Amino acid sequence: MKKKFDLTAITKSKLTWAVVAEVLILLVCLIVRPDFFKISYQESTGMLYGSLIDIINRSSEITIIAMGMTLVIALGGTDLSVGALVAVSGAIALKFLRWDVLEYTTPGDYTVCSYALVLIVPLVVCLLMGLFNGLLIAKGGMQPIIATLILMVCGRGIAQILTNGKQFTTGYSPFRVIGQGSFLYLPMPIIITVVVVAAVALFVRKTAFGTFVESVGINRSASRLSGINAQLIIFIVFALTGFLSGISGLIYSSRIMSNDSNNAGLNYEMDAILAVVIGGTSMTGGKFSLAGTVLGSIIIRTIVTLVYYFGIASEATMAFKAMIIAVVIVLQSEPVRNYFSKRAKKRAYAVKGGVI
Amino acid sequence: MAENNLLEMRQIEMTFPGVKALNKVDFTLRAGEIHSLLGENGAGKSTLIKCLTGVNKKDGGTITLEGKEIQPQSPQHAIELGISTVYQEVNLCPNLTVAENIFVGRQPMKHGQIDWKTINRRASELMSRFHLSIDVTRPLSYYSTAIQQMVSIARAVDIQAKILILDEPTSSLDDNEVQLLFDVMNELKKEGMGIIFITHFLDQVFAVSDRLTILRNGQLVGTHKIEDITKVQLVTEMIGKDIDTIFSLKRAEVADGEADMLVATHIGAPEKLEDMSLNVKKGELVGFAGLLGSGRTETAEMLFGATRITKGEIAIDGSKTEIKKPFDALVAGMAFCPEDRKRDGIIGDLSIRENIALAVQARKGFLKPISTKEQNELADKYIKALGIATPDAEKKIGELSGGNQQKVILARWMATNPKVLILDEPTRGIDVGAKAEIQRLMLEMCGEGVSVIFISSELDEIIRCSNRIIIMRDREKVGEVDGETCTQDQILSIIAEGSTAAGGEAS
Repeated sequence: MKKKFDLTAITKSKLTWAVVAEVLILLVCLIVRPDFFKISYQESTGMLYGSLIDIINRSSEITIIAMGMTLVIALGGTDLSVGALVAVSGAIALKFLRWDVLEYTTPGDYTVCSYALVLIVPLVVCLLMGLFNGLLIAKGGMQPIIATLILMVCGRGIAQILTNGKQFTTGYSPFRVIGQGSFLYLPMPIIITVVVVAAVALFVRKTAFGTFVESVGINRSASRLSGINAQLIIFIVFALTGFLSGISGLIYSSRIMSNDSNNAGLNYEMDAILAVVIGGTSMTGGKFSLAGTVLGSIIIRTIVTLVYYFGIASEATMAFKAMIIAVVIVLQSEPVRNYFSKRAKKRAYAVKGGVI
Repeated sequence: MAENNLLEMRQIEMTFPGVKALNKVDFTLRAGEIHSLLGENGAGKSTLIKCLTGVNKKDGGTITLEGKEIQPQSPQHAIELGISTVYQEVNLCPNLTVAENIFVGRQPMKHGQIDWKTINRRASELMSRFHLSIDVTRPLSYYSTAIQQMVSIARAVDIQAKILILDEPTSSLDDNEVQLLFDVMNELKKEGMGIIFITHFLDQVFAVSDRLTILRNGQLVGTHKIEDITKVQLVTEMIGKDIDTIFSLKRAEVADGEADMLVATHIGAPEKLEDMSLNVKKGELVGFAGLLGSGRTETAEMLFGATRITKGEIAIDGSKTEIKKPFDALVAGMAFCPEDRKRDGIIGDLSIRENIALAVQARKGFLKPISTKEQNELADKYIKALGIATPDAEKKIGELSGGNQQKVILARWMATNPKVLILDEPTRGIDVGAKAEIQRLMLEMCGEGVSVIFISSELDEIIRCSNRIIIMRDREKVGEVDGETCTQDQILSIIAEGSTAAGGEAS
């Protein structure tokens, strides 16, 4: 027997409405710019070019962080420190890469430390900072929003101290590859994102980790009494989120080949939370959807692109972005979904009636 | 006879996808009457109440209140119509004060501001009507569940309800508190209020009601005056089976020389329990009797590592085991069904399958996942074995009835093949049929060599099932009696007299 096409369930799903929103925004983009979907190949860089590629490319930083944020939110928490960790990661990387003013006159293709350190140290530091968050929450019993506020506030300060308040620049080409290179005709950040998303998805869905996260997020006490080590789960999730923020920080600083303790990762925490929410994961914790989060992140980036295309003054972009996001969220809200699912039901009845 | 009916529900029908939850049910309530509504889990009691309180919309039939037909649209609407409900789980805000909880949403105002003085005074008055002199400006969470329950009844009463629905109000109360509640119910009855009383405690039904209505599988079985029916008839009507077939339980048999499976020596934790020792033999069922807060639950929590012990030691199957957290206990072969199923047992949004596999998975660690196929086998096995009423294993556990939730939690632990099973009030708030089934399962497990610790507030079920009974009072073990020879009075006197009961130690 053929599986029944269940319109009611589809209209009830938040993910459906995220897809609808994305398609609508893309259509508007297409109207504004008829060549919007065009993708071309540029031989000199060996990369594909086009607005769609660009949207996915530019959404990488948020998507990577939002993978961790999805798990954090599934636990019923939030992590506000991710943006600051992006700055820390970039600051450390650039500290090791920095343009040595005494010897050279321009930022060049060299590094002060070995390249391995440039990549590993920022990631390890971010991982430790994530562990620190986890420690405050799991052992200290602090609310995640408060615990991560600490690093959100002082993380940028740490980044400033690490670089003595200076902005370093570099020209080291292996580092440039991370944010500006390409692989398989695609920009490197997309490749990194795909790898990260796949790794996180495999980790949570092919082991029982995802179920444990959901379980702890829904009922921590009952989970503990069932033998789940809730503290360990919290540790891992926050450490992972810190680590992913580190990766995101490397991509960001590689794009600008510099560190920017004030602006790197600014408001990333909000975008990441938003991506998770648009993706259909509830802020109260519990069931989560990584695929939804990826889509949420892409939607946010599409909106930003749309704002550019409309040629809206830069002062107004935030307001415009907020407006569209508000519409997306309303589309996904329960009353609206229920309204459409009721209509779908009615239609289903009508169709049945017609057949009989 | 029908003319003085306060409430008439006629031919009520309600269909959920795939299930006929109510099939042409009639129910009447008179003013100044306490009317018990009885039936097993899933019989349709809750659904009927939900139709009345506007939570669900009925598919057919009429509801008439004081001669006028009503269509409750929402719980709020039902309250406006004069129908107040007190639910089994306290539905108040623990972080607000008692007074705030009573008046929230309808605070008396004075000069455009909330009149705190009046609120607190009226709240005190109201509570004193319940013979409770408590500080109403303290947060609700400061008080015991029993008092919280009273507060929610006080709130319902103060709304000037014509009909008060009490949905399992007594499941977390001890005997004195129950008596207090009955006094209040009788007073309200005298004032002409109609009270619908839902409970699983049959004694209480006979103690307080005027009439009772029995539902089974969504059908009306009958409405009787309380003096026209005996307890046995009642149970038979409820479950539709002869009572003897259900209550013929056989106590576990323990050989004299059987080794101790669990030995706890002088365990204690600050502010919980000072000093506690006990032993349970292989295949033995040890009951824990005592009042609420006597230290029964604390003992269970210490044994399972939910509370970390600071002194004493625990040995399982002959070897000393350090239990710092529930995981250690799980690995050592212990299992624990906690008292508060909703708070500590179920993972509401996860499916039955995931809930059943949870403890086994926790023992293996998340890196060694149980495949969905194995999980399904596990779930199907226990759904069948325990008779869990569900269309399939993917249903969320939160959507099941209390008895079925309890069975899923039991399945979660049975799946771990435990050596020691601790059950804290496993039969609370579930119906006679499911209760008997859980008792049967418990004894079956004893027969398979599992040692069971069984905590319950109901003495008769403890006496019926236990080999030995440990009696707790004021966070101390005050006695131990043989399950086969002891009487209810004997246990009660030990509870009442405390450690002075010299005969207590003879086991």
